[in-house]
Amino acid sequence: MLKLENLKCGYGAFTAVHGLSLEIPQGQIFALVGANGAGKTSTIMTIAGQVELQGGSISFDGRDISKLPARERVGAGIALAPEGRRLFADMSVEENLTMGGYSRPRSAEAEAKAMVLETFPRLKERITQRAGSLSGGEQQMLAIGRALMAAPKFLMIDEVSLGLMPKIVDVCYDAIEKLKARGITILLVEQNTQRALAVADQVCVLESGRSVWMGSAEEAREDPKLIEAYLGLAS
Amino acid sequence: MLAFELLLQGLVQGSIYALIAVGLTLVYGLLRILHVAHAGLFTLGGYIGVIVTNATGSLLLALLVAMPAMGLLGIGIYRTCYQPLLSRPPYVALIASIGLFIMMEELFRLIFGPYGLSFTAPPLQDTVAVFGVNLKEAELATMIGAVVLIGGLALLTLRTRIGTASRATVTDPKMAEAFGVNIGRIRDINFFVGSALAAAAGVMVALLNNLVEPTMGSVPSYKALAIIVLGGLGDLRGTLIAALALGVIEAYGTIYLGNLLDRDAIAFAFLIAVLMLRPQGLFGRA
Repeated sequence: MLKLENLKCGYGAFTAVHGLSLEIPQGQIFALVGANGAGKTSTIMTIAGQVELQGGSISFDGRDISKLPARERVGAGIALAPEGRRLFADMSVEENLTMGGYSRPRSAEAEAKAMVLETFPRLKERITQRAGSLSGGEQQMLAIGRALMAAPKFLMIDEVSLGLMPKIVDVCYDAIEKLKARGITILLVEQNTQRALAVADQVCVLESGRSVWMGSAEEAREDPKLIEAYLGLAS
Repeated sequence: MLAFELLLQGLVQGSIYALIAVGLTLVYGLLRILHVAHAGLFTLGGYIGVIVTNATGSLLLALLVAMPAMGLLGIGIYRTCYQPLLSRPPYVALIASIGLFIMMEELFRLIFGPYGLSFTAPPLQDTVAVFGVNLKEAELATMIGAVVLIGGLALLTLRTRIGTASRATVTDPKMAEAFGVNIGRIRDINFFVGSALAAAAGVMVALLNNLVEPTMGSVPSYKALAIIVLGGLGDLRGTLIAALALGVIEAYGTIYLGNLLDRDAIAFAFLIAVLMLRPQGLFGRA
């Protein structure tokens, strides 16, 4: 579904990721783990078209999207729940969902909203509230819900568990498994390696912008020392 | 009675300020640029209003020409003057804007002459009684026009998808783009709408004073900048309230403090006083 070939990206003279190649098959959950500053978020934001691609290529659904403008990538089927949620804080929950579905025809909005509110019933109770006034967990649900409004084939979620209570993290991960069951391919960026490994099909460990280990999550789950060795003290 | 009359006069003036300041605050919210040349569109709108009315006898037609024409010119200014400077620090665009404004004023002087233009047969000059106060029809039309235009803008921003997208772009342009918003189009629309409203204000001022002259935009320009600071830069509702408040305070101040300070001095004394007490603007969150 998504294929990165020798991806290099960064900010001006600074290169955050130095040649990352990976392939995410349709319907799988792929976890990108690693310490702070390893290049996980840069990778995701480059796939979304928000960070400068400095080399290599990104192909999606068999089509090279390396040069596609950011706003057209969502229409191609790529949606993002970014680091720090980045909700439209002054707008209501409902308006945030509307924005999530902006790339699709207005007629698709009602059905998509119903689906998101079924996935996260909590948001239904908050529908008219300002997004900025929600709790951290609700904000994360809204960030995922907003991305789902775009009816993505491929969903990228950055640091879903950051700053959330374990109970809320459970809710989010339950939702992620449900999304997988619906056939959505998911790329998870996580510092919480245990959580990510529990749901992932494949894992890539990034360190200083390079892939240091890639393999099946099952293998990593069977040998807990494996990932830890690569992550060092950072995990 | 005088107090009520002053309130109405203040609201008329405040409506004009509001129509000008709304465009400035839209631009500031989107681009973080102080769009000084905005007042040049206000002036040119006034000129078009007088010229078209004199040629055709229809004030309505004049508005219908001035507003879209200035809207398009606003988009032109964005594309030629600001867009190439967006990657530079905001003061670069500010300097460009000041330069453009001076150039526009001098062009008006060259093209339309230094003494200004008046209506050959000024429309809407009769007086009507509103709650026992005599107002010129032109003043009443200004207030009604401002309410209709700003009400329309509020509907557009709060109730439509494109309005929602516009607000989302102000909050986080990158995220708006990530969900498919065409940022360039949002900017065009905002420049169009803001500039069209400034043109309407120009026609209204032409009507109220029966005069347009090359520098009529200068003082409104400073005041509109003051208003958007008071309203909490980029905040539409705050801008509206600040505009009306400034109009009313000027109206009362001119009568009660008139022998101490002139109208414009009162406006800026108010600005300084508010900013000393609330540096984040009247309604801004600290």
